[in-house]
Amino acid sequence: MTVATSSAAVPTSAVTDVQPANFSLAVRFALRELRGGLTGFYVFLACIALGVAAISGVNSVARSITSGIAQEGKLLLGGDIAFRTVHRQVSGAERAWIGSQGQMSEAATMRAMARLPDGSDQSLIELKAVDSQWPLEGKLQTEPATAFDEESVVVDPVLLSRLELKIGQSIKIGSAELKIAGTIEDEPDRVSEGIAFGPKVIMSVAALEKTKLVQPGSLINWTTRLNLAEDSDANLNQVIDQAKEKFPDAGWRIRSRVNAAPSLTRNVERFSQFLTLVGLTALIVGGVGVANAVRAFLDTKSHVIASFKSLGAPASFVFSVYLIQILLLALVGIALGLIVGALLPVIAKTVLADILPVGNAAVFHPVALLTAIAYGLLTALAFALWPLGQARDIPATALFRNAARDDAPWPRKIYVIATAIVVLLLVSLAIFQAGDKRIALTFVGGIAASFVLLRGVSMAIQWLARRYPQVRSTPLRLAIGNIHRPGALTPSVVLSLGLGLALLVALALIDGNLRNQISSNIPEKAPDFFFVDIQSSEFEPFKTALSELAPQGEVQTLPMLRGRIVSINDVPSAEIKPKEGGRWVLRGDRGITYSTELPPNATLEAGTWWDADHIGENLLSFTAEEADEVGVKVGDVIVVNVLGRKISARVVNLRNVEWQSMSMNFVMVFSPNTFAGAPHAHLATLRVGEKTSIGGEETAVQVKRDGEILKSVTTNFPTVTTVRVRDALNAVNGLISQLATAIRAAALLALAASILVLGGALAAGNRARIHDAVVLKTLGATRRTLISAFVIEYTILGLATALFALLAGGLASWFVVNGIMGFKFTLMPEVAMITVLAALVFTVGFGLVGTWRVLGQKAAPVLREL
Amino acid sequence: MLVTAAQQAILFWQNLYNNGDLSMLDTPSDPVITLRDIHLTLGEGASQVHVLRGISLDVQKGTSVGVVGPSGSGKSTLLMVMAGLERVDSGGVLLAGEDFSKLDEDGLAAFRGRNIGIVFQSFHLIPNMTALENVAVPLELAGDVKAFEKATRELQAVGLGERLTHYPAQMSGGEQQRVAMARALAPDPKIIVADEPTGNLDDETGAQIAELLFAKQRERGTTLVLVTHDPSLASQCDVTLRVRAGEVESAAKSSTRKSSNGKKSAA
Repeated sequence: MTVATSSAAVPTSAVTDVQPANFSLAVRFALRELRGGLTGFYVFLACIALGVAAISGVNSVARSITSGIAQEGKLLLGGDIAFRTVHRQVSGAERAWIGSQGQMSEAATMRAMARLPDGSDQSLIELKAVDSQWPLEGKLQTEPATAFDEESVVVDPVLLSRLELKIGQSIKIGSAELKIAGTIEDEPDRVSEGIAFGPKVIMSVAALEKTKLVQPGSLINWTTRLNLAEDSDANLNQVIDQAKEKFPDAGWRIRSRVNAAPSLTRNVERFSQFLTLVGLTALIVGGVGVANAVRAFLDTKSHVIASFKSLGAPASFVFSVYLIQILLLALVGIALGLIVGALLPVIAKTVLADILPVGNAAVFHPVALLTAIAYGLLTALAFALWPLGQARDIPATALFRNAARDDAPWPRKIYVIATAIVVLLLVSLAIFQAGDKRIALTFVGGIAASFVLLRGVSMAIQWLARRYPQVRSTPLRLAIGNIHRPGALTPSVVLSLGLGLALLVALALIDGNLRNQISSNIPEKAPDFFFVDIQSSEFEPFKTALSELAPQGEVQTLPMLRGRIVSINDVPSAEIKPKEGGRWVLRGDRGITYSTELPPNATLEAGTWWDADHIGENLLSFTAEEADEVGVKVGDVIVVNVLGRKISARVVNLRNVEWQSMSMNFVMVFSPNTFAGAPHAHLATLRVGEKTSIGGEETAVQVKRDGEILKSVTTNFPTVTTVRVRDALNAVNGLISQLATAIRAAALLALAASILVLGGALAAGNRARIHDAVVLKTLGATRRTLISAFVIEYTILGLATALFALLAGGLASWFVVNGIMGFKFTLMPEVAMITVLAALVFTVGFGLVGTWRVLGQKAAPVLREL
Repeated sequence: MLVTAAQQAILFWQNLYNNGDLSMLDTPSDPVITLRDIHLTLGEGASQVHVLRGISLDVQKGTSVGVVGPSGSGKSTLLMVMAGLERVDSGGVLLAGEDFSKLDEDGLAAFRGRNIGIVFQSFHLIPNMTALENVAVPLELAGDVKAFEKATRELQAVGLGERLTHYPAQMSGGEQQRVAMARALAPDPKIIVADEPTGNLDDETGAQIAELLFAKQRERGTTLVLVTHDPSLASQCDVTLRVRAGEVESAAKSSTRKSSNGKKSAA
């Protein structure tokens, strides 16, 4: 009779009569195991440290800036509340009411021309005229500490060097000649004002009157600042509400100390979120390195794990011992990263002190650091739990046979679930932390899709390699075999290289697109000069003067008024919910114009243009894109407030314009009858002639020619403000170029992460390859054959991965450039290709150096181990 | 569920003791290892190998058994089964009186920790632990508060009292194998299994280790199962079991020595 009991039929219930080894024993064992040192863990540490440093650093710096803005809100705004009006000062009634709430001060800002008294040179300036109360908050610091009066000004030192002037000399602004009393060292409310196109000049309101720059229709902003007598938050809100209620038609923009520099805050937050995502990508790319390192580490430990088990350790105990080690190492990496991240705001504080209000801001931001710790730990866990779960199941019999771990099965369900929970937490954190959930979700989706796709790419490569017919060339045959054999590097190299390359391609394309904005944004047909605030009285002489100055030039002029939309079809503009991009159309005063005919460069999208001699109903042409964003259709009635008058007009057509052409474009063009007799200024553009440039730079001839035009116009029409398109662009370009520099820094981070990870993956693979290389060498393979095989293998893997990187990186950069930054995306294949090739040569070269070392291994010591 | 398990257990015992024709017991005393018609297949698909083909045997308490046979004959796998490291596909296995097919993986590990000491050909000491810590591991895992005292005594007993704080890399092969032996003996196991314990050592050291191993086995009355290629080592055992192609080809009492308790053993 045979014994029929089969072990498979017996339920394997958890019959354990021994308490599982406890946690403190696991910690003790983990610490003993860590005596082996950090060998094999440098990549792990570096990956975690790099990601944590990036995330904690970026967030800490951003918080320093935004908290600085919030803390110094009153100082930055120059008071508790600022009322901004365009064209006009506040009215008597408004002034009286504001004055009754506390101390007030009025200041005007505008762009104007400053020129040398002899007319030999000039510069566009940002002019600020202030009353005697200014500044309500903080102190204007000048060198020397002299006050200015109605005969003198203080100026940005840049103006002195640009016009080769000294303190004590005079400049002409508009119709006045003013003495330079000193230079501006610090201006308290500077940050709350927008982009500066030229150096700042501060003068008194009385001096401004002397310049005669203030004319009907001049582009001038007035800011009335108020320091509340009772400055509680409750009163602040109450006064703002009252102001809105009492003067519903004032058309002013009200800002409070709570929101002193909203656009700066918004930009800092947006940019820090972008950099956080880059940091997170670096961390996730690094996570692949973490997984590789953990797997390689556990491979070397498989005998120890089996020994533990043969000596009576339960599997969960083994798991704990190694989880504790990984967590301890992760903490070391996180600590290293935090040190760098915590130091960044301190460095940023010194570097940025001159341009941003970070002087008194806190540099220690626990939330930013905690977030980074959470990201670091979750990433380490997300990538370590899986291999740890697999290692848990290494059988004790591994001590007797070499169980191949390549086809290690999925870990038990609990580890799969635990990994899923950790990944979910990571995703939630990323989404929760992001300002724009849509971007965060797209990011998460992109990363997830990348993992799946890269897995697919590696499977496809291996599938093809397996089916590739026998070839004669030995290196090629070896390479193809290396790609698909069990334990091949293919999956880990494709994943780490793929993510890294895709990130690099994306960043390179974003960088390229930003730089493209800088270099190519002077279109061929763009004018060279904008002339602002040409008064009706000097309009004809001005045109004549331009035609004499540039006989070949193209002059275009348009009447220029300012107006804001009060209502559309009787719906007040405050109640209209425009699409994301169209908010600016409804916000405050916009330039408006009238014309008898369709402006050049524009095409009609819907409706018809009015007759040149149209009289009767006021008609209006709206730009098609903005009409869609704000919800305007042909036939709608729009009421605009121009110089305090409410004017109603019916939309009769929608027009397409090319904003990029940089010619004069207005959202709203009215029929001429609408503004008959209204006082207004003119706007003119001049295109001197064909543009020739050498390497994007203007030629000396152009510089001289432009200088002459500038000089002549400024001398003869002192109240006309001349903006050279190239100068204005340079100011904007300066900003974009700073952005691009930050993106390059992010690219460096990504490159560092991918090199680390790939280096780690190859190093882990190299350990396995020493064995193969040695065996092949004893069988007669030369180093040359072996290295050729490796080169071919890496090249095949690299090229397949590069293909993915080009696609994924291109898609990601398109999303960022087009969707987030709002620029037109240009695919630059050469930039993408060069990036991929350079990164490939670099990373694969790196791998081959390691491989060469492997090939130098003497056979005997390895063979003895076999 | 419970009922099924109980029925199966009863069936198992009935099978075990009524299985006269397969029993090789020549003395109905106290077997520490009992195998009944065990079958084991390893690998999957084309690489599947039927490694053990219906082996039945009993090993008496305190006996030393030498398992010999050509490479690939299944002797190491047989050893793993007897060490509680490998489960069989079918057949009955009783080790130290326990039917370990009922234990889950962790229960099995704990069972091994209590009952079985293993000595490997390549020692398998844990490299980042000292000799003392290595020997203490099974005791610590079993929750023994005197783990380090006992471990110290065990190391002194194998002549390594001076090498307690040395790491494996700082010791010779013979010393490492003695540490491994101390580790195997420390929890006072009922069974010691040794896989080519002298295979990685030179003749002289190998002989010393073998002598020590048998001395400790006799001293403690432990059951020893030893896989070896070395005929002289096998001949020092009470019984020599010859395995070929997954079956026991022959079992012979060794002529050179008797087991410590004087009982004859059979296989």
